[in-house]
Amino acid sequence: MTEMSTESKIDSLITKKLCKIVGEKNATDMKHIRYAYSYDLSFVKPKLPDYVVMPTSVEQVQKIMEFANQEKISVTPFTAGTNIGGLCIPENGGILLDMKRMNNIIRIDEESHYTIIEPGVSHAKLASALAKYNLRWSWPVGPPSASVSSNAICHGIGGLSARYGLNSEEITSMEVVLPTGELVRVGSCAIQEDAWHSCLPLPRMDGLFTGWLGTTGIITKIGLRVHPVPPILKVFTASTQTLGHMASYLRTLGNYEICDDLTGVSWWLSQVPIPYPYKPKPDDAPEWISFATTFSWTEKEKQAREEIWRMVVDEETKNGSSLKETVYPEEALKARTQLPSQIVGSTKNYTKQAGAGISWPGTFTPLNKWEPVYDEWKKILTARNLSPSVRVTNYRGVHYGMLRAMIPFPKKDPASIENARQAIVECLKVDLDNGGIPYKPPVDFGVEINKRAHPGYVELLKRTKNMLDPNNIMNTGKLAL
Amino acid sequence: MKWDIPSLEELEDAVWKCTACGNCKTAYDFGPPPTYGEICPAGVEFGFDGNMASKGKIAFARGILDGQLTWTQDFVDAIYKCTICGGCQNQCELDHKPVIPEIIESMRRKAVKDGVGPMPTQKVIAQSMRSYNNPYQGPRRVRTDWTRPFKKAKNPIKNIMKKNAPILFYVGCTGAFNLPVRNFPVATASIFQKLGLDFGILGENEICCGSTAMRLGDVDEFKRVAETNMKTFKDLKDNHGVETIVTSCAGCYRAMKKDYSLAAEYEDCMDGLKIIHTTDFLFNYFKEGKIKFTKEVPWKVTYHDPCHTGRHLIDFDIDEDGSRQWKGSYLGKSEDNCLYDIPREMLKAIPGIDFREMGRIRSNSYCCGGGGGVMTGYGDWAAKNAGLRIQEGLDTGAEQMVSICPFCHYNLNEGSKRIKSDMKVYDLVELIDMAL
Ligand SMILES: Cc1cc2nc3c(=O)[nH]c(=O)nc-3n(C[C@H](O)[C@H](O)[C@H](O)COP(=O)(O)OP(=O)(O)OC[C@H]3O[C@@H](n4cnc5c(N)ncnc54)[C@H](O)[C@@H]3O)c2cc1C
Ligand code: SF4
Ligand code: SF4
Repeated sequence: MTEMSTESKIDSLITKKLCKIVGEKNATDMKHIRYAYSYDLSFVKPKLPDYVVMPTSVEQVQKIMEFANQEKISVTPFTAGTNIGGLCIPENGGILLDMKRMNNIIRIDEESHYTIIEPGVSHAKLASALAKYNLRWSWPVGPPSASVSSNAICHGIGGLSARYGLNSEEITSMEVVLPTGELVRVGSCAIQEDAWHSCLPLPRMDGLFTGWLGTTGIITKIGLRVHPVPPILKVFTASTQTLGHMASYLRTLGNYEICDDLTGVSWWLSQVPIPYPYKPKPDDAPEWISFATTFSWTEKEKQAREEIWRMVVDEETKNGSSLKETVYPEEALKARTQLPSQIVGSTKNYTKQAGAGISWPGTFTPLNKWEPVYDEWKKILTARNLSPSVRVTNYRGVHYGMLRAMIPFPKKDPASIENARQAIVECLKVDLDNGGIPYKPPVDFGVEINKRAHPGYVELLKRTKNMLDPNNIMNTGKLAL
Repeated sequence: MKWDIPSLEELEDAVWKCTACGNCKTAYDFGPPPTYGEICPAGVEFGFDGNMASKGKIAFARGILDGQLTWTQDFVDAIYKCTICGGCQNQCELDHKPVIPEIIESMRRKAVKDGVGPMPTQKVIAQSMRSYNNPYQGPRRVRTDWTRPFKKAKNPIKNIMKKNAPILFYVGCTGAFNLPVRNFPVATASIFQKLGLDFGILGENEICCGSTAMRLGDVDEFKRVAETNMKTFKDLKDNHGVETIVTSCAGCYRAMKKDYSLAAEYEDCMDGLKIIHTTDFLFNYFKEGKIKFTKEVPWKVTYHDPCHTGRHLIDFDIDEDGSRQWKGSYLGKSEDNCLYDIPREMLKAIPGIDFREMGRIRSNSYCCGGGGGVMTGYGDWAAKNAGLRIQEGLDTGAEQMVSICPFCHYNLNEGSKRIKSDMKVYDLVELIDMAL
């Protein structure tokens, strides 16, 4: 059963004003429509927005923000709401700004390899458009119907993250409506209207709008770097008995910078779906399995990659690693290489057994801390009858990467939700204490982060937020400040 | 008769399997090359997440079940703004996938039971069903108007109640009463005669299959006609030599194959009777070389897959006893019963046909927008949506759109008129008849 906070008051005059801005069909305060935006996949407690608005133009977004700012109404932007962190659940009610109708691919520059898109463009739409030019983006293993720009501004990761880093590192320019309604641009498009190729060498003002626990402006256009698709795919798969051995292998291989994706998954995550409740791993199965995805232009290039990979395996084996060449389960491998994936996006691989819920302690953690953190996580999770379904992934090089446990739970049962929530928060504390930092975090995590933060950092956050959003209308309550 | 038609409450466990991932909102396939398309007519038109795909419909179901949502006029309206096309269902991979249309229809059943559904315009259908045994307010005697040319040509069609025949051609209400699509029963009967088949019709005794009532949640009305039909079919089988029921209507076909099977007496009534869609039925003759096309049809055509002869006939593999994964787990699907290749194969075999394929086809076909009571309840939206589909057909360079469902046929025609296109819509049987 869903617990729901009590409703705040709907003001029909506000609805009327919003209808005037976006048209009768695109703004509403009807409860059944609001209800569908009140929850997501995560453990975050459902909350109802008071109004839902679907703008179709930049001018409309500006007018909505001007009005909301004037009336001090909270605004929570939304594209597909699949962030797994409750980020689109309106903590403070107010306007749910559904951006899905602004979904034009404005440009694909096939020469300079960047695209300009609106926030409602989904991975599915961009994938089919880019394929015509043999181009790709670093596709996440999420729902193809989710937004590319939201993924980028939330430091999303994808199938090219070992090579190019986070998807936010691919941002080349942005057009943003501030919480006060003004239109701003960052990156090259700020200097020359039609130049969307790069955020540099200007100050990285895109940081004002990326990676915040609650976004700080409404993105209306974004420029993103895209990349050519070499024709030859070769995936190296290997297993180890421990995460220590896996981390060492990923580090050594990562040093050669030959992979697009360099990921290790625990046995529990390699199962389709993740076992719920926890079930022990068979004794003869390795605990860690890795896939290293490479793309080559020629057979010779592929052979050179194979040679390097063999060298790495030999080196690791010589050093006493339990590393073995292995076969990655076919369905799971497809899910990692055929992206975006409708099958994985539908959450089958993760939640099918548990029923409806997933959350994660998702973190950016230095490679040398993966093993100690994982050992603790395993204790925490198994004690709560949850599978330690953990993923590690290198981000551009070897200094840090993703450490994340995907935790399914049945949404029908409040006790199970709470069990998962507590486990995840406990895991997170362990990671924070080891220097890791959670990404796309719900407010519960934000509190833990800010508790540990340098006071100067928190103060700077507050000042920046205040400068951008003097009435604190955007994503109210999300920053846990 | 005893029926096993689930209530929303009985489907609660399934409702709680939905993760709200929103995968159901678009049809996407990795390929290569990757293909993408909008799949939900309701989402395309109304846009809010609640209106869109099974994500939205299941949110409504969840809201009702957890007591957050109570009926308002707008809420009932939102529940009926869905063609029950199953486009969303085809995208989902979780355990509730097989029952997604049932979840949507169970909300409608609840609305009807609670006295708030269906929508006023759709209530006309229920009234018509009660008064005329068809949803078109068509007097009984009009049902056989389409047979007049046969009588005139001295090739009258048998009334199966009077003269036995092994094949019953179950015409369906749309073909019988809906003027713009009346040529399709004519073409069907004409082909049957050209093939020398011994067949008959129920004529004025034919009554609605109940599909529309079922889709609207009017379960009592559905049961009434379904029970009468099953008894009639049993009688035809036992006393009039009928072995096969052929229907050209995708809605009737789905109702008889799937909806009727929810009755405990289904096997008793229908065992030994083959129910087959005209396209499938004719394909057997085609394979045996008995259908020989002698005339050219020099047209540029595209083909629209109706939901009811397509993804509604997908068989889901469910772990019933828990021996393979867990009890109730959805394991996979089979499209073997979907009429995808058969109509295409026959169409392409017609001399002169220049076949063009649209982007959204087969299980990811984009619904015409007419199903689930939408054509009656929201005619303007239905035609608008059909216009989108027609445009997709036009974009292939096709000049004619062919389908195998009179409902789609009618609505696509409306769509074509609405966007002022020259695209003409035909039933496959019309082309076959022309080419024979
Ligand atoms: C099964 C599964 C697997 C996933 N795997 C991955 C993965 O591998 N990598 C990954 O990065 N993510 C993953 N995700 C998370 C998510 O699907 C993606 O990051 C996705 O691209 C987010 O898009 P969305 O449209 O759902 O964003 P939303 O959830 O709608 O929005 C995300 C955030 O952006 C804000 N926002 C939305 N639009 C705007 C706007 N125009 N301006 C300002 N702020 C805005 C929202 O308020 C919210 O804070 C996964 C999710 C699922 C369910
Ligand atoms: S119906 Fe299926 S695909 Fe749609 S949101 Fe629910 S789980 Fe996802
Ligand atoms: S059944 Fe069709 S119209 Fe209804 S929600 Fe699903 S895709 Fe949309």
